[in-house]
Amino acid sequence: MLTIPTRADVVRQARERGERVAAVLPIHYPRALLRAHGFQPMEVWGPPRVSVVEGNAHFQAYTCGIVRNATSFLMQGGLDAADVVVVPHTCDALQGMASVLKDFIKPRQPVATIYLPRAVRAVDRGFLAAELRRLAQQLAEIYGLRPSDAELLAAIEREDEADRELRFLAEHRGDIALGDRDYFTLLRAREFLPAESFVEVARSAPRGQAPGGGVPLMISGIVPEPMELFDHINAMGAHVVADDLACCSRRLYRPSGASDPFQRMADSLIDAPLDPTRGSPILERARNVSRRIAECGAKGLLVYDVKFCEPELFDVPLLRKHLTAEGISMLHVEFDMTGSIAQQTLTRIEAFVEMLQ
Amino acid sequence: MNPKDYLAYTLGYQLLGKSYLSWQRHSDERAIKALRPAADDPLNPPLVGTARMKELMSRHYLEGRYANGVRKVAWVTSGAPIEVLRALDFFLIYPENHAALCGARRHAEGLCVEAENAGYSRDICSYARTDIGSALSGRTPMGKLPRPDLLLCCTNICQTVLYWYRVLAAHFNVPLYVVDAPFLYDKASDHQLDYVLEQIEGLIPVAEKVAGKRVSRERLQEIMEQGKSCAELWLTIMDRAQHRPSPITAFDGFINMGPIVDLRGEPETFAFYTELLGEIDRRIDNGVGAIRNERKRVLWDNLPVWYKIGKLSRHLGAKGVNVVVSTYTYAWGELAPMMDAADPMRSSARVYLHPILNRSTGDKLRSMREMVAKFQLDGAILHSDRSCKPYSLGQIDQRDNLANDLEVPAVLLEADHSDPRVYSDEQADARLDAFIETMEAA
Repeated sequence: MLTIPTRADVVRQARERGERVAAVLPIHYPRALLRAHGFQPMEVWGPPRVSVVEGNAHFQAYTCGIVRNATSFLMQGGLDAADVVVVPHTCDALQGMASVLKDFIKPRQPVATIYLPRAVRAVDRGFLAAELRRLAQQLAEIYGLRPSDAELLAAIEREDEADRELRFLAEHRGDIALGDRDYFTLLRAREFLPAESFVEVARSAPRGQAPGGGVPLMISGIVPEPMELFDHINAMGAHVVADDLACCSRRLYRPSGASDPFQRMADSLIDAPLDPTRGSPILERARNVSRRIAECGAKGLLVYDVKFCEPELFDVPLLRKHLTAEGISMLHVEFDMTGSIAQQTLTRIEAFVEMLQ
Repeated sequence: MNPKDYLAYTLGYQLLGKSYLSWQRHSDERAIKALRPAADDPLNPPLVGTARMKELMSRHYLEGRYANGVRKVAWVTSGAPIEVLRALDFFLIYPENHAALCGARRHAEGLCVEAENAGYSRDICSYARTDIGSALSGRTPMGKLPRPDLLLCCTNICQTVLYWYRVLAAHFNVPLYVVDAPFLYDKASDHQLDYVLEQIEGLIPVAEKVAGKRVSRERLQEIMEQGKSCAELWLTIMDRAQHRPSPITAFDGFINMGPIVDLRGEPETFAFYTELLGEIDRRIDNGVGAIRNERKRVLWDNLPVWYKIGKLSRHLGAKGVNVVVSTYTYAWGELAPMMDAADPMRSSARVYLHPILNRSTGDKLRSMREMVAKFQLDGAILHSDRSCKPYSLGQIDQRDNLANDLEVPAVLLEADHSDPRVYSDEQADARLDAFIETMEAA
């Protein structure tokens, strides 16, 4: 049985180390920068199943559930342990959330933002490095720590090591003897564990043939919430052999060789796997997904999207068209963060699995 | 240049098309002048200049039908830095404006359905669905849109345009150049400005390669000067709404904004707005308002509900409510002071970093509060547009702030700028009526 510290454990341990806590919204951000500045990142992907009364008082009903839930969670005190809230500019919805937090809600914690370029040119790399320097300045003003380049590089090395472990887990799903839910719980522990703890936990994951049987699926989308989704999929006679999730495989960052620590962090973020929120060309992404499906032996792709997620929704038709041409079946379903998975959604997934059997 | 295409362009557009549209404009002007509104009509006759706007826009789209093979074509977002493309004589298509025209002419729903049938969700922007539906089906009320040779997308209005243009790039298999504009939560910093500047400079070789010619700095400066003149003129027109009664409504602004978006900087656009300003000033001199009995003056926030412009203006006008100004139309003029032809590249970077949609929710509230004072407004209608999330997110707090801090009644009107399927006349009327009652009581 794999033992993963809880978020509460991580907060307590961070405090014991004299660190502060940064609540971080999806998707991409420089973990090493936060750690070097004395902040333990604690990611907030919703969370699901919170009352959204507070979120609805600030955002229209057609706003993505991650934004409404996270706002509610913050206002209900769920992020009281955090000393700063970091909102990457992932999409229009998170842009709106950060702006409303800064201008109107004004939480107790400072709100820091980071703009992620939507292309991979030299100019984008240079901008992102400058943007990270700006964020570093802001973090230094909040907490007072001004890490040296050597300290930054050490933090980057630690995160690179954790990313290597994450990549190993993602690329060797069949050799990790964990059920789907436990396996994705392990991958998602990267959302809140310090790099060194994640490395330890990842290395302790039982090796051996992954349990499963039935129809192998690949899953795509932003975040697989609630995690019971995997129990349902297993009960339907399928198992998940690979993912293209924003919270997991789209964050398999590769180390950069740049000597400047800011450029190094910027390069890692910019060279991350293809992701619609970063402006990756659709057909390139579709080709990449179909190649990965072929490699992992999945019989179909389940695209499991948060309702109202525009970056995901725009890719769906061309992704489907490309996969269909390759003889790969795809199902697109949407879920609402506020409740449990709708029966209608489960029925559609079940029918998809039956079709693939 | 293909001789056959050139012949068709000369005959269909230059000779026959332009002449016909000129005749049509004279005919429309006579019809508007002859209008005698019914005694119970709350609106005064429309601006005669609207006929010229119709001619300009029709000519633009007519030229587009014949442009392939004669001029290089670029499809661009409404906030894209087009000066470089204009200096290289690209013919420009604005898919957002095309979608708005489809919405106003009630063609958007059918085109949205085309996109939805191809798998595009109803939850994505209706402008995008309209244009994707048009690209997939080849249908458009404009007859035909020219195929692009280049796509230019600037993220200073939303991220949606990036997703949308990626679809277009895959569909047309043409280059997509992205000018990424970092969102301004606070005051713009040097690295943000430099980033936009470098990208605009990077556009030059890309556009030159497609155009097959070099851009001249003199031409670029000339275009910047023309653009600034047009934007200043547009702002002057919008500011005329400070008069009581206001000679124009925000709906007039929506109807007449096509040239400042699609043809900004063109000499004919400047001539059109000069003529329009003259007509507006004559209204002021004669004490003529856009509506007959202006009792309350309000602000419109966000894009219009294109398919309900007439209905809304009459419904509000009948109750003495004049929507005199909008944050949306104002946005096309307010950055004019930033334009500097002596430094076209850097001033372009500054301008294209600062559209209202790329500024914070608090900054938009500041703009709205300034408008309330400047235009002596009694209330604000905030169109909560489910197709435009960057414009709409923040409106709940903006409304509360206007109502509570400024004591200006404000209402959220749930709708969509182009898709009529999410609009309910009854609900909208009831909401607006309750808002008017609140204003009356204030």
